[in-house]
Amino acid sequence: MTADESELRELRAAVREFLEAKSPEEAVRKLMESEPRFDPAVWSQAADQLRLPGLAIPEEYGGDGFGRVELGVVLEEMGRALFCAPFFATVLLAAQALLASGDKEACARLLPGIAAGRTTATLAVAEDHGSWDPAMVSARAVPDGDAGWTVRGRKCFVIDGTTADLILVVARTVAGPTLFAVERDAAGLAAEPMETLDATRAMARLTLDAVPATLVGAEGAGGRIMAKVLDIASVGLAAEQAGGARRCLETSAEYARARHQFGRPIGSFQAVKHKCADMLVQVELAEAASREAARLADEGSPDFPVAATVAHACCSRAYMIAAMENIQVHGGIGFTWEHPAHLYFRRAKSSQLLFGGPAVYHERLLDRLGI
Amino acid sequence: MESDDMRDFAAEARRFLDAHVAKAPDRTALTWGEGDDSMAYFSSLPLEEEREFVQRAREWQRIRHENGFGWITGPVEYGGRGLTPVHDLLYDAIESEYDVADTGVLSVIGLGMIGPTILAHAQPRIKDRWLPAMYRGDAIACQLFSEPGAGSDLASVATRAVREGEDWVLNGQKVWTSVAQHSQIGLALTRTNPEAPKHRGITAFLVPMDAPGVEVRPLRQMTGGADFNEVFLTDVRIPDDHRLGEVDGGWTVALTTLMNERATVGSEGVGPVAAALSPDHLSALMRATWTWDDRALRARLAELLVDVLATEHLNARALRRLRAGVAPGPEMSVSKLMYGQNLTRAAHFVSDVLGPRIIADTGQWGTYAWTELLLATPALRILGGTEEIMKNILAERVLGLPKEPVTAAAKEVRP
Repeated sequence: MTADESELRELRAAVREFLEAKSPEEAVRKLMESEPRFDPAVWSQAADQLRLPGLAIPEEYGGDGFGRVELGVVLEEMGRALFCAPFFATVLLAAQALLASGDKEACARLLPGIAAGRTTATLAVAEDHGSWDPAMVSARAVPDGDAGWTVRGRKCFVIDGTTADLILVVARTVAGPTLFAVERDAAGLAAEPMETLDATRAMARLTLDAVPATLVGAEGAGGRIMAKVLDIASVGLAAEQAGGARRCLETSAEYARARHQFGRPIGSFQAVKHKCADMLVQVELAEAASREAARLADEGSPDFPVAATVAHACCSRAYMIAAMENIQVHGGIGFTWEHPAHLYFRRAKSSQLLFGGPAVYHERLLDRLGI
Repeated sequence: MESDDMRDFAAEARRFLDAHVAKAPDRTALTWGEGDDSMAYFSSLPLEEEREFVQRAREWQRIRHENGFGWITGPVEYGGRGLTPVHDLLYDAIESEYDVADTGVLSVIGLGMIGPTILAHAQPRIKDRWLPAMYRGDAIACQLFSEPGAGSDLASVATRAVREGEDWVLNGQKVWTSVAQHSQIGLALTRTNPEAPKHRGITAFLVPMDAPGVEVRPLRQMTGGADFNEVFLTDVRIPDDHRLGEVDGGWTVALTTLMNERATVGSEGVGPVAAALSPDHLSALMRATWTWDDRALRARLAELLVDVLATEHLNARALRRLRAGVAPGPEMSVSKLMYGQNLTRAAHFVSDVLGPRIIADTGQWGTYAWTELLLATPALRILGGTEEIMKNILAERVLGLPKEPVTAAAKEVRP
């Protein structure tokens, strides 16, 4: 299904209205310091009233079958509101990994719960080194002799790792990196929360000690699955980043119009004005890059992998610049705990480096360009 | 998403272009070491070749005009097509896919900016005399605005115009005048009331460039070529019917011209610019110079390409909106800023890749030729509104930031 321009505007307005009511700054600040780091009641409402978890899940698996463009609109709004919810891990990591695996049985079994908002899920790939490259995975899986598998190893930087009902784990078999499904209450699984730079996105360290697991997709297919998932997840992340960057720009412009020094609004000084214009340039580029990548994904275009990497790199930089300059435009007040600027700064830096940062995505771009 | 009207118009444009010209060659796909390696952004042709170039531009404009694409937004009574600026931008974008003569000498200033100004403010006889001629390719127009003392602060023009009977007599100096050497007419801003606040004492005139007292002197720029000029006006006598707008009302006329600066969406894909921003070309250059494995240079290449490709996405989206009949937002201004910055970064990146080969010509294909682009890039951050002025406009018009307060000193007129 594809929404036209006016339907996209309606979707954006509905999500914004919901988030302004359910995820104002006070709510975000409260959730940042609670466990779990989201409000289960609000999560249920997002699923029941707005059907957000199932928006881009195919209809055959209980979703509404919309595309990345619609998903991008939702993510821009979530990024803008710093919405604390298991959406990113569940919808952009776990659900996409299931879809990318091509395992129809696993999709039919696991996706309807995700689409309905009953199941939260995540994807555990990175280990202590933090790399999402499946070739770097050292967790191991062996057959348990009874058609099942057991997984041993440690995972790190697992988003929502202490709360997700379903954990998809990449572990190595004799055939190479492979995707497995692990239940939250499986024997031998321990999760401890990590302290995070960005407290609006919870992360955990998992220890898997002979944990029973189900194979998802083909044995040894983990590399191929992760290549797809990282493209799609980084475009989703890019939409969140573009939304956050736009919010930083709006906050700065608003402050520059209202705050007076030397008898005039600070936005009338060119030093401040040009800073805001530079932020605008970054935000416009970021929105174009992330929306264009989403459109190319929906069209199944061969240009998508390049566009995905461009969106990831462009939005990572744009958000970081916007978040930094937002503090600078605000001056001292922007450096206080009470002001929301640091929440965006933390989210911007954390998002930029989540999948490895510039050192990784610059090489990936050259690789995807085939040059 | 595309509206029917736009789709029909686009199809008509393609039929016309297919019938008259070939598709543009893809300069991004060139084989290293073969063909033309020129990286000239500004023309640096000898005068004879320059004249042939202008002649080809006039000829293509005539063909466009005869087929209904010469003046897409113009009123039918003056030979225009009576369509919207969105049609115009769409045509430009489509035409950029074809190998047509570069008509920049006529279109950027004359047809794009002066034509609409004449239409809005000139007296009927002037409109009848010059508008059809301009859009047929017969008359080239230039913009006699900037002066040594009036650059970004255009309202400080000091060229005087004094009334003598039915005529006006102009004296002063204009500068940075592109295409003046090829122009038949120029639109001049002059000071007619030195007592009034500076924006209120300006009057606009159409100056025939062959009038006695008009002297065009080429101004050699840092690339070595001379694309623009100084224009000296010494006792130039102009009839009152050549006045545009009211006496002392020239600022309104100037604003019309400046508002018509043409957007550049879809026009970046040609010539040396395509090579400078092409991933294939830049990687071929790095391989040919044995720098492909240099990690620092690879990271800089990737950073550059992120901006180049994101800018392409911005343009592609603006174009898609145009095709759907939606007027563009701030994308155009952002695109202009990024265009200058991307080419500047590309030129400096390539310089660092080339090392000594950009400071002296070894004769190797595709190396020292980059000096042409390198030396042109400073202009891209100045022409058509400096980066600083562009940022003011973005911040004020898009973000609603307040203008800088005008000081008492700034209200005074220069002598």
